Amino acid sequence: MLSLALILIASIYFPGIIVKVKAIFSGRKGPGILQPWFDIFRLLKKGNVYSSASGFVFQIGAPIYLGTALVAALLIPFEETNALFSFSGDFVLFAYLLALGRFLIIISALDVSSGFEGMGANREAFYSMLMEPAFFILMGSLVMFTGHTSFHDVFANLHYNDYFSAIIAIIAAYVLANITLVETSRLPVDDPLTHLELTMVHEVMVLDHSGFDLGIIKATNNLKFVLFSTLCADCIIPQSLDLWVRVGLFLISQVVFAAAIGWFESFRARNKMAMNAQFILSINAVALILIFVAIIIKNNL
Amino acid sequence: MTLLFKVALLLSFGMFITPKNWKYLLALTVQLMLIIPTSSWALTVLKSDTLVIDLGVSTWSGPIVLTIDALSAFFMLVINLICLCGIIYASGYLKPYVPKKRSVFISLHLFSFAWLHGAMLLVVSMRDGIAFLLAWELMSLFSFVLVIFEAQKETTLKTGINYLLQMHLSFALIMLGFLIAGNQTGDLSFNGVATFFARHKNAPLFLVFLAGFGIKAGFIPFHSWLPRAHPAAPSHVSGVMSGIMIKMGIYGILRITFMIQNDLMLIGIIVLAMGLVSGLLGVIMAIMQHDLKKLLAYHSIENIGIIGIGIGMGILGKASGNDYLMIFGFAGALLHNLNHALFKSLLFFSAGNIYYAAHMVNMEKLGGLGKGMRYTSYAFLIGALAISGIPPFNGFISEFLIYNGVVSELSNSTFIVSIMSIASVLGLVLIGGLCVYCFTKAFGLTFLGTRRQMTFTEPKEVPPVMLVPAIIQISVIVMIGLMPAFFGGTVITIVEGLLHTSSPDIAASGIQALTTIGHVNILLIAVIAVIMALRAWQQSKVKIEAGPTWGCGYSAGDFRHQYTPTSYADSLRELVNPVIDYHSNYQSFAKEEIFPKKKDFHTETKDLVEEKTVLSWVHLIVNNLPKAGIAQSGLINHYLIYPLLFLVFIGFLILLNVL
Repeated sequence: MLSLALILIASIYFPGIIVKVKAIFSGRKGPGILQPWFDIFRLLKKGNVYSSASGFVFQIGAPIYLGTALVAALLIPFEETNALFSFSGDFVLFAYLLALGRFLIIISALDVSSGFEGMGANREAFYSMLMEPAFFILMGSLVMFTGHTSFHDVFANLHYNDYFSAIIAIIAAYVLANITLVETSRLPVDDPLTHLELTMVHEVMVLDHSGFDLGIIKATNNLKFVLFSTLCADCIIPQSLDLWVRVGLFLISQVVFAAAIGWFESFRARNKMAMNAQFILSINAVALILIFVAIIIKNNL
Repeated sequence: MTLLFKVALLLSFGMFITPKNWKYLLALTVQLMLIIPTSSWALTVLKSDTLVIDLGVSTWSGPIVLTIDALSAFFMLVINLICLCGIIYASGYLKPYVPKKRSVFISLHLFSFAWLHGAMLLVVSMRDGIAFLLAWELMSLFSFVLVIFEAQKETTLKTGINYLLQMHLSFALIMLGFLIAGNQTGDLSFNGVATFFARHKNAPLFLVFLAGFGIKAGFIPFHSWLPRAHPAAPSHVSGVMSGIMIKMGIYGILRITFMIQNDLMLIGIIVLAMGLVSGLLGVIMAIMQHDLKKLLAYHSIENIGIIGIGIGMGILGKASGNDYLMIFGFAGALLHNLNHALFKSLLFFSAGNIYYAAHMVNMEKLGGLGKGMRYTSYAFLIGALAISGIPPFNGFISEFLIYNGVVSELSNSTFIVSIMSIASVLGLVLIGGLCVYCFTKAFGLTFLGTRRQMTFTEPKEVPPVMLVPAIIQISVIVMIGLMPAFFGGTVITIVEGLLHTSSPDIAASGIQALTTIGHVNILLIAVIAVIMALRAWQQSKVKIEAGPTWGCGYSAGDFRHQYTPTSYADSLRELVNPVIDYHSNYQSFAKEEIFPKKKDFHTETKDLVEEKTVLSWVHLIVNNLPKAGIAQSGLINHYLIYPLLFLVFIGFLILLNVL
């Protein structure tokens, strides 16, 4: 339960810090840290406009999107403290739960019969298809390295305090950070602030969502950020420290991660659309290097 | 029970003399009479031990004996479930054809359907080589009759003949396998094959059987009949064929696999490679299709590929002494047979509903069907999620078993097994992602949005009887998703029995994981229900409006601006261009064409594997055969010379003591 509490706490300030850092780098003062959540709460109180072309899929899409992210959060442990559900191969369920949410949000976009939203749906399906292998290769190499098969056991056994685990943990965190950026539709794959529909991925899919639905979609995106960054933190934070020190480190690491995203987005332009596939495949390639490192370290060669 | 089985088979002949309107009722009775005894036998076997039933009929090769072990029992239950759904669905689907078709054709169709069911039951329970081959042949023949139901269309008849020929190639290869084993051991049966495997090198004979059964199963490169036959057949037939008949090939492969003794590593790698290629190419080709039934047919190849990955990993586990891999690999493959049978027949029946209502299955012209055909769209959505391996439905459970087997001993496996494990995980993930891509397209562009062709009237929902099978299939799909421990535990027990191993630890770890997945799935549904309830509560207080779709500032958008299946597949096409054969005819505008004329645009994706492996040889032969026509001069004196030349040739052979 500790991990769930930490994920929820971190997701409160995570999106705000990104916005704040980006504002500071562009020379503005920027809104308060909690402003993204105030926006969401305002949306949750508003009325809805549904497209007359839409049907039942549009109605169930957003709730399922949030539901899958919430349940996926229950599978993530914080270091050696257990997640609510933990079993051999739970990372498979984690990835496929997110796939359910994605499936529903894609077909919701197709439900309104808009060419622009179809474009976004198509890109989301395509990029996530390319992205998923990286996550599985990464988890596969961690499984191979530690000899354990659930999130909890993998992270509990990752830190042997030797150089090998340090190398593995750092590369894993790097790959996970990249996966985070793609999964949550941030730069350099997608720019949430662009206002040209032809170049958007995620935001263009939810153009027709409004009110409560839009609110929970935004909340889900914030939550998904923290899901992946928690996995990152699990890779990096050393096991040997006191629990309370690690909780502190975790909360700080989330601030640092959010600030790093803000910094990165301030100085980086979005990829050309055609480059995105290559960019995602290069993350896969890094993950593949990781698994071969794991094979060599484990002397399976 | 035996009597009921025999009476059912005899009663089926009555189909030809009953009046037209009663035929369906008789067919239903016959199939129920087949289902009741075989299901009760199968359930007994699953609870206790192998059952041997003497049908009391003797032929020249000996008495007909049904030997039902756990593997047969599992397949029998799946056959019965899918055939029951099929015959219920047929009652609605065939209705428009009954007045149009001649009575004898309806009889023949229903008779063949019952006998296809019976033949499949016999295939899984025959152990004697000749009896097995006879049952196999009956299955192929009756399915051929079923495929050519609409034989008045020339393409259907051509497809049917193509199917029949390929099935006989499969028959010949399986017969060859039995003959090789029988020749060496003097026992023309599965026991003889087992004895052969114990004494000789396994790989050559296994490959013969793999090719024979692989044609039936539709493994690439033996798949070329599949994407033709399924779209040509009426939907209740394609549902049954894709759902369960191609699984008879898998049954054969599994039966042989549990007998092999050596060459395990080589065989495992071959099966795994075939599975990976079939899975990936199958789903890539599926994405490129416009025809909904052809898309589903390619997905059958993909799912056969997933089953192949499971079997291949199971064999590798056996080869390397990795019990987790062995048991979970086989168990996942076995369970995926049931899962695929359920969601694929569900999807084919939904496609049949579309054909029934809109008289076409071309996705480029459909769209927005969900408005008129509400229940069909629910059914198709659940089938689409299940086939993409997404929780809380059943496809995830079998794929999870394979994943779990692959990762559980990953850190202790040898180099080659590690590489194969990574390849199979990579393959499964890519297949899953591509499947999401494909089914967001298939569902989204067929059922959602607005209609792409305003010329025909809006399709209406089909009669309720055609939705009854969907209810059965969906309830089992959801049951497997929410109670995976029961189904997973059952297949693990079956697999352990067939492998003659018993490892309570492994079974317990699998069941523990599946139980938790069941809990997570139930929780997921509960959480979603709570969110929806919250929204309903919130929306009761605020204003809910309907309005036009936001056109991004462009106000004249209409249905033609929607994404089409071709444009949806386009981003992937650039990536996979080397493995597909894509053609488009685009007519560009001429320079002085100020008022553009009407143009059409046509794209087509051909099967590259089929062209390279099958068609290139066929073309070579067809192109060179006319050269033999030189001998056909049309002059009678030439023709008289040929026998003379032949006699001289024979004479030479005798002189040389060859004959």
